[in-house]
Amino acid sequence: MSTILTFLTRRRGHGGRWHWTDVASWVWLIGGTVLMFGPALWLISSSLKDPAQLAEFPPTLLPYVQQTAAVEGHDTPLPLFTVTMEDGSTRDLAQVRRIGANAQMVDPGDPDAQISVRIADRTPVRDVGIAHGNYTDPFLHFDFFVYLRNSVFVTFFATILTLFTNSMAAFALSKYRFRGRDAVLLVIVGTLMVPLSVILVPLYSVVSRVGLLDSLWGVILPTIATPTGVFLLRQYMLTIPDDLLEAARMDHASEWQIYWRIILPLTAPALAVLAIFSVVWRWNDFLWPLVVLSRRELYTLQIGLNTYAGELNVQWHYILSMTVVTMIPVVLVFVFLQRFITTGIAGAGVK
Amino acid sequence: MGSITLKDIRKSFGGVHVIHGVDLTIEKGELVVFVGPSGCGKSTLLRLIAGLDKPSSGAIEIDGRDVTRAGAADRGLAMVFQSYALYPHMTVRQNLSFGLENTRMPRSEIAARVADAARMLEIEELLERRPTQLSGGQRQRVAIGRAIVRDPTAFLLDEPLSNLDAELRGTMRAELSALHDRLATTMIYVTHDQVEAMTLADRIVVLRKGRVEQVDTPLNLYNRPANRFVAGFIGAPNMNFFPAVAEGGQAALPGGVQVAVAASGPVSFGIRPQHLRLAAPGEAGIPARVTLVEALGAETVLHARSDGDTDVLVVLEGQPELQRGQELALAFDVEHLHAFDAQGQRID
Repeated sequence: MSTILTFLTRRRGHGGRWHWTDVASWVWLIGGTVLMFGPALWLISSSLKDPAQLAEFPPTLLPYVQQTAAVEGHDTPLPLFTVTMEDGSTRDLAQVRRIGANAQMVDPGDPDAQISVRIADRTPVRDVGIAHGNYTDPFLHFDFFVYLRNSVFVTFFATILTLFTNSMAAFALSKYRFRGRDAVLLVIVGTLMVPLSVILVPLYSVVSRVGLLDSLWGVILPTIATPTGVFLLRQYMLTIPDDLLEAARMDHASEWQIYWRIILPLTAPALAVLAIFSVVWRWNDFLWPLVVLSRRELYTLQIGLNTYAGELNVQWHYILSMTVVTMIPVVLVFVFLQRFITTGIAGAGVK
Repeated sequence: MGSITLKDIRKSFGGVHVIHGVDLTIEKGELVVFVGPSGCGKSTLLRLIAGLDKPSSGAIEIDGRDVTRAGAADRGLAMVFQSYALYPHMTVRQNLSFGLENTRMPRSEIAARVADAARMLEIEELLERRPTQLSGGQRQRVAIGRAIVRDPTAFLLDEPLSNLDAELRGTMRAELSALHDRLATTMIYVTHDQVEAMTLADRIVVLRKGRVEQVDTPLNLYNRPANRFVAGFIGAPNMNFFPAVAEGGQAALPGGVQVAVAASGPVSFGIRPQHLRLAAPGEAGIPARVTLVEALGAETVLHARSDGDTDVLVVLEGQPELQRGQELALAFDVEHLHAFDAQGQRID
């Protein structure tokens, strides 16, 4: 604890005084933190608000829930308001209905006497609380689990196939000498510059002719060959000494065995990095699945989320809450595997 | 089993010729050392024999069978790499058994062979460790063990001791020699270290710029080098050379010593530092001035400059009292003198 305090109060200026670089670093770091975490925290906080509160202006930082009271003669609990009466006193009343600029209200203790109040004279009674319906409803009443299953299926198989094909390509491009090898690599890396939107239409017609339209494999197969992955793995494999391959060749290993038993295990750190990337890419994919999938039971999570945005009515509370849910796996992947990302990209493990 | 024949082997990479026609026969059970300065093609030649590279022309036969186009695995050879090339993600046991598993050998047989090799190399307690947990000497043993378990026709060793410190290199050298005696398998050993070559080899192949300069037993190389290159390369410190001009079967060394030589025209004479001594009073010798005295205790290495500005190295026994700048005469016995013609070839 004291070390943390020493760390936080450390100054560049002599005798604990502030140097201008201290100020600059604090501003920079705090600003960066707000910039990075602000939107995510805002998303989480908003996902806990009910629809009425989302539409409110000015928005509140924390989610609030309006207090309700069970009133005799009414089937559902009525929302509670603090009303300023004409004589200046305040009372807690439940609202029966709103008519224009007035609201019909009752005292929960005296349900028979209805009071008409101007809406400007009342403020809702509410406490900090969460609208858990945002989270439970999609699970209970919508196809969330179907979308989840589809997303997991696509992510899992796309990642496995990405690792498999990209590592084979990288092996060939890093460890074999053949005519045109550098040209092939250049072409592969060059495709990094072609965005999906450019090849969307031709890709669609290919997938359509192959008969993969409206199938999860139609989402998976076009995405498995990634130039980033081939390049990342190739650069890593270049650091594996050729002596090992030659030793394996002397040891009667076939080229497949060299790939499977020598190269793949030694490329594990880079494979981990690519796996993380692939999971994040496939999980967050929106445009391509949207193009390929049209049956609702095949939707992935990202497309499923889109169904909450109708033509006339956008159900923001469900979109926000389900966005948080879909973020969770990606966040977990980063939290637990980030050391692989840093060590893998830095090319650690090379002696 | 284990004779290897090279017939007019040539190798070029792109347009660069690295090996210029090597003919060589290695008898079974022989330990042959390829030695030469770096870039002489000794490692390339070993890789050609191993099958890791294919020769541009020529033929390689193992036990009379032409294997020139055969792959590395089909030649029945085992190789120990300079970097050891142990599989870092496998334990020592897995490293040793990898090659045998690939030949679909029964598990019991693999276990027996690994146990035998481990016992022979005294690495039994290391079998479950990974290469990164081993010292340099232990890795070296594992690398040799990986070759032994294969029970190969011949061992190929590419500078196997060059990554070890001097002391360990001495012990491993002795162990390799003992191992060769025990296994009686053909071994080809590549090194640039002439001490390793001299101590280990049955025969030494001296290479320079992709050509074989001389093939002979270590002592024959030392006593009767075929040319100036071999004479200068084998033996430490290096041989001294004196240029001279032969006329009428005689040539004069600096200081006027006359030597009989069966040639005429420019020649050079070589004499090893160990074969020079201080001339006795009145004895004819090569006059020289001392430039540096290195007293090593058992022997003293003298750096001197003779007439005609030739640097001379002398190894004297014991601890003679000598000073820098001192003038002295260096005597020698004529039978220790090597004569070479203008092309550098030996004159007998």
